[in-house]
Amino acid sequence: MAKEKVRKSGTRVYLFAGILLAIIYCINAMLVDNIYWSNANMSAKTQNSMNALNRINGELASINLDTVSIAANLKTNMEQITVDTENHYKNILASEAQFEGIEGTSAVALKRYNYAKAIISTYKSRLDSLGTSAVQAGNEMEMGYILKQDIYPLQITASEMLTSTIDVVGAETGRASAQNKAKSFILMYMMLVVAILGELAIWIFSRRAKKVRAELEEREKSLAEVDAKLKSTRQKASDLAVMNVLTGMKNRYALDNDISDRLESGRFQIAVFDMDNFRSINDTYGYDFGDEYLAAVAEKLKAEFGEVAEMYNITGNEFCFVFNKNISESQAMGIAQNIQRVMSSPFEVLNLAVQLPCSGAVYHYLPGDCLNVNSLLVKLDTAMRNAKLNGGNMINTVMNI
Amino acid sequence: MNKNKRRGLFRALAACAVSAAMLATSSCSLPFLGDKGGRQKGTIAVITKQQLSFWDDVKKGAEDAGDELGYNILYSVADGDNDYVSQINAIKEAINKGAKAIVIAPNSTTDLNSVFKEAEDKGVKIVNINSKADYDGVASLICSSDYDSGAVAARNAIKMIKTTDPKLSNIGKIAIIGHTASTAENRIKGFTDVITNQVAATIEVKEEDVELTAEELADGKTIEEKIEEEKKAQLEKFKKGIEQGERCAKRDAAKEEALKLLKSDGNGITVMLGTNTNTTLGICDAVNELGLETNITVVGFNSDEEEIGYIKTGVLDGTVIQNPYIMGYVGVRFAHKVANNQTVPVELDTGATFVTPSNMNDDYVQLMLYPTKK
Repeated sequence: MAKEKVRKSGTRVYLFAGILLAIIYCINAMLVDNIYWSNANMSAKTQNSMNALNRINGELASINLDTVSIAANLKTNMEQITVDTENHYKNILASEAQFEGIEGTSAVALKRYNYAKAIISTYKSRLDSLGTSAVQAGNEMEMGYILKQDIYPLQITASEMLTSTIDVVGAETGRASAQNKAKSFILMYMMLVVAILGELAIWIFSRRAKKVRAELEEREKSLAEVDAKLKSTRQKASDLAVMNVLTGMKNRYALDNDISDRLESGRFQIAVFDMDNFRSINDTYGYDFGDEYLAAVAEKLKAEFGEVAEMYNITGNEFCFVFNKNISESQAMGIAQNIQRVMSSPFEVLNLAVQLPCSGAVYHYLPGDCLNVNSLLVKLDTAMRNAKLNGGNMINTVMNI
Repeated sequence: MNKNKRRGLFRALAACAVSAAMLATSSCSLPFLGDKGGRQKGTIAVITKQQLSFWDDVKKGAEDAGDELGYNILYSVADGDNDYVSQINAIKEAINKGAKAIVIAPNSTTDLNSVFKEAEDKGVKIVNINSKADYDGVASLICSSDYDSGAVAARNAIKMIKTTDPKLSNIGKIAIIGHTASTAENRIKGFTDVITNQVAATIEVKEEDVELTAEELADGKTIEEKIEEEKKAQLEKFKKGIEQGERCAKRDAAKEEALKLLKSDGNGITVMLGTNTNTTLGICDAVNELGLETNITVVGFNSDEEEIGYIKTGVLDGTVIQNPYIMGYVGVRFAHKVANNQTVPVELDTGATFVTPSNMNDDYVQLMLYPTKK
């Protein structure tokens, strides 16, 4: 469950990071778009301003050319020149209107422009005085003075102010686009940093998640190990309770556990066997030898009859056989004889071959014969004692009454 | 782990690609990628003659141009219009501070040459304003011709007299008080030349005004010749009537000089010229004191606040203003161009404007009178 939680929070963080990145990219796209449009807008505006200013300058130069021509006596048709000049000046006024109509012209550019405009209007009014009295009077000296002292300086300073205005507009545009450029660069690097940081965060997070998961797994593993150890210990303990340590066979408690449920309705073949006079072995060779001997017998029995019967070592040298369900009464008798043969065959223990006769009892148990395992065993033991009393080395059957 | 790493690497690459795309688009959308945007392009030194409002306006124009073009303006002013020593020091300082160009109103025509040479050797360009130094390396001269300024004063004085006396029949003596600097000479010359021409052009001698003597008739002189002679005589008389007072540097001295010329009744003077602020103010003080403002046409130079006050009260009939703001402004502009190896006109005449009570509220005149406004 803990693992599940980690995985879940992991995906949530990924999702969150994904959405965050998407939002950042959207904002970025908007900003870039904004910069792009502000640039486009600015360049259009600049273009417009430049056009207007250049036209003013051009028209001014045309007027001046006419003026110089008059002075140099190259043009004499004063009416035509006056008309031309008025047309040029109209164009100037139109361009001035165009420039003034452009929004967002900076204060510096406007200052410069206004300077130029003031000079131009003064220029025009002085030009008018040239066009009228002096020229009409043919006063060339006065014309020369007006031209040299009044008009010429105004024209060049006006032109200079106009080019200054153009320069100012250009410089401002340059600055603004440099600013935009810097902005987009900053934006770009910020995005790069965001992307890198995002990746770093995701990487670090996934590493941490993995580490946590690994830790959990490790703990689970060690828990399972402890569990298994506990289980095996418990198994051992319970085995000891139901097993005879010497022979490795189940003991009488186990028998009690195993068949008490079957007493009421079960039908089965059960037998007990016992060495005749086993005490003589203990007396003659010692208890250790007796133990070894019993262990050998038990090994042999387990090997020979493990498949047909469940075996129990219910007391010292007494073995109980609960035959499998598919074993019939007669088969059980045959097996019992085999058991007797095996048990009474010689066994080599500690380099000594020892042989002891044995007796047993077979009981064809019918449902409800006994109330408990104890009475069942009493029945079998009684039958077996009768056999021993009759000389031993024989099998008795428990008679059903 | 490995898979994750690969995915991280992929994303980083994607981010790089996106950034590169952004860079590409942003570069494409920037039509002005020149370094026009860069602010500080260096220093231009502006060196002027003396502490006067005229030079303050030059400074203002220079600073405006510096702001617009992105230059740091290193301004220094000498202690008087003969003080070339502090100008030499200012030029040396400009060279040491790595100025790209020097805009200077030289206080001497030749004494600055050696230090100009030094500057030129270091690649520092030189632009003159107001007056020219006699040095070949000067890239451009931005000035208002003093001769023409004097002429403008003369023309306008005559124009004003003509409004009440079209034939100039009552024109009397002309009194001029010059200031001590070199500029005074050309102003006075321009003024006297033009006023003489103007008067000459208006002198009319009719046949009935002259009579040929018997002697002259015997010599075979025609009436036309006699008229010419009479004209010449009148002109000579007029010329003789052009008086120059002592050169004055101070306003009080100019006033004293004016009073000396005017006596107490005006001494037959109809036009008075002051060639700078102090002389103009001195004349105005005198005329004002004697109460002769209606009889005498006073013309002056420059646009000091007190001169404007005299214009308003009618004592000063008109004053010639040059355009120091433009001088400073264009000076720095040209210096910038020269420093960037662009060509500039060898000379630029910033003109002179005659300010009278009737035109002093014009935009252009206001711009020149108050260049710091707007």
